[in-house]
Amino acid sequence: MVEVRPDEVSAILRKQLAGFEKEVDIYDVGTVLQVGDGVARVYGLTKSLMSELVEFPHGVFGMVLNLEEDNVGCILFGESSEIKEGDTVKRTGRVASLPVGDTMLGRVVNPLGQPTDGRGTITADKFMPIERKALGVIQRQPVKEPLQTGLKAVDGMIPIGRGQRELIIGDRQTGKTAIAIDTIINQRYTHTEKAKREGVKPVYCIYVAVGQKSSTVAQVVDKLQQEGAMEYTTVVAATASDPAPMQFIAPYSGATLGEYFRDGGRHALVVYDDLSKQAQAYRQVSLLLRRPPGREAYPGDVFYLHSRLLERASKLSEELGGGSLTALPVIETQAGDVSAYIPTNVISITDGQIYLESSMFNAGIRPGINVGISVSRVGGNAQIKAMKKVAGRLRIDLAQYRELEAFAKFGSDLDKATLAQLRRGSRLVELLKQDQYRPMAVEQQVVGVFAGTNGYLDEIPLEHVRRFEAELLEMMELKHADLLQEIAEKKDLTQEITARMHSILKEFTASFKASVKA
Amino acid sequence: MKNTRAARRYAVALMNVSVEQRAVDRVADDLQTIGATLAASRELRVMLTSPVISPIKKKAVFDALFAKRVGKEILTFAHLLIHKNREALLPDLIEEFRALLDDQRGLVNVDAATATPMTPAQEGRLQKELERYTGKKVQLRLATDPSVRGGLIVKIGDTVLDGSIRRQLVRLREQLLGLNAVSN
Repeated sequence: MVEVRPDEVSAILRKQLAGFEKEVDIYDVGTVLQVGDGVARVYGLTKSLMSELVEFPHGVFGMVLNLEEDNVGCILFGESSEIKEGDTVKRTGRVASLPVGDTMLGRVVNPLGQPTDGRGTITADKFMPIERKALGVIQRQPVKEPLQTGLKAVDGMIPIGRGQRELIIGDRQTGKTAIAIDTIINQRYTHTEKAKREGVKPVYCIYVAVGQKSSTVAQVVDKLQQEGAMEYTTVVAATASDPAPMQFIAPYSGATLGEYFRDGGRHALVVYDDLSKQAQAYRQVSLLLRRPPGREAYPGDVFYLHSRLLERASKLSEELGGGSLTALPVIETQAGDVSAYIPTNVISITDGQIYLESSMFNAGIRPGINVGISVSRVGGNAQIKAMKKVAGRLRIDLAQYRELEAFAKFGSDLDKATLAQLRRGSRLVELLKQDQYRPMAVEQQVVGVFAGTNGYLDEIPLEHVRRFEAELLEMMELKHADLLQEIAEKKDLTQEITARMHSILKEFTASFKASVKA
Repeated sequence: MKNTRAARRYAVALMNVSVEQRAVDRVADDLQTIGATLAASRELRVMLTSPVISPIKKKAVFDALFAKRVGKEILTFAHLLIHKNREALLPDLIEEFRALLDDQRGLVNVDAATATPMTPAQEGRLQKELERYTGKKVQLRLATDPSVRGGLIVKIGDTVLDGSIRRQLVRLREQLLGLNAVSN
């Protein structure tokens, strides 16, 4: 055995510890005047900056949120019960930031970037500030690539583009989170070799859970793991038991994590689930800092709270690498009231919204999207041509169906054309139903919607529509995989493809009808 | 919570008046007297802050206590404070006034803490060095705190110059444990 000489040990130690003897640490301090409920007022700290990180005793960190003439208001990112009046607070000279990078993928972290999944420390070589300024006009370009959610109703009629901000809004228990999770799961496809061949770039996902139950977050993480979606996803969790300041900054942390990918020319999707709770956390902090309450007791800058967050979603210009950050904020309404303060604010900020209604959800239409009032203001440009062609009819047919539906309830004396409309509409509604965690590839969606809008479902009994779709897709996979492949690659329906689809569908419909009768 | 904002306003006003009347030193002395009396007597402090005692009585108490000891201006000022129901500000106000005075005279208060008492020679050197560093006259307040362990901690206003062994030990510990995740 080779012996290690003691003098060697001490030499190495001395080297490691060098630089500790001479330096004088210079820092600014203040004194805690008042503390409680996640905020502290500090006397002194006269040179501190807005949103600077300050250090309290016991390793608790805080952020400066109020600068007043004779004191500084801070929010605490830790247990406020450990801080006492008279404690010394130190400036750190840095703004609040968190580690970013590829090593964050697959992990569950708190809004400060510290792991909470018990899988060890994260080594990231880069730190980025939590609050970053959104990019200007010059650095951006219009949204042009699609972000496939894997949901027929969304991709068909409310298409989302990479770099867009699409709000998911609805009452509790209407499937808001389900849409977001399905979208994340569907991005698994973008990380495959097949997607690479088709020119679809991978999308990295960040799921920000604000004010949710820890058990719910655990369920989501579990599901993402099962579906293999955690490999390209980071979960930022500020659960209901975390201090309000944590819940308040969580979305910004999520945006920063996403911006890392965007700035590297890659694509990211951030889900903010949900911003109503974040607004409530911010309201709590604001009121404790004695900022004056406004409508619904929210502070005056609650609009800016969300606008500056969602403005960070962007599609970068080609010079900057063409990366994108797509935002899917979630807002929970109370009893369908979209005219409350926070919903109206976020509706006006985003580039469209997906309305979920409990009446539709309960009627078995799942996802319970009200396609009549849901819109996407910019996603249309990003939709692939094939989908645009088949889904154009979908919107109109469904709108006419909804109009007639009310009439049809009164009388039975309906002319043939009306009956046909009703028949078509009811088939399409059935077609748009989709199970949770079953996102579909866009070419499959195109085939399904093609069958619907071209009347191949009209003769099929309503209760068999979903079986029809399933069997059609199965048959396509088995016998006409080349056609699906062609749609996926060309992203367009050429006359040739259309003709082939018609002939395939005619044959399949005939055999399916026979199977129904039998 | 400290209500220093209003106290500062009154202190600035008092300072302006006393500068005009060229009575800054006298006013400062008088305030010092009142401050010392307040600090010594809990009863007086309680009386000042009590809303139950009528302003007339408070004025009478002040007159009886200080009429012979302080100048007329200060007594009038105290009456004004009582009249405006701001008498509770007095301790803060005195402190603010002293700070203003120090500022005017180019004085700066410095707290220095060491593990063991300094020798007079060390004190002198520290004083000289600090005056060079701040460019102002330094009023040194010394304290011994065994938890400093070694070295020196100097506090000038809000800024701390920490050359203590305690601080170095803390930093050493942080570095060895890699405890810099949040604050990096």
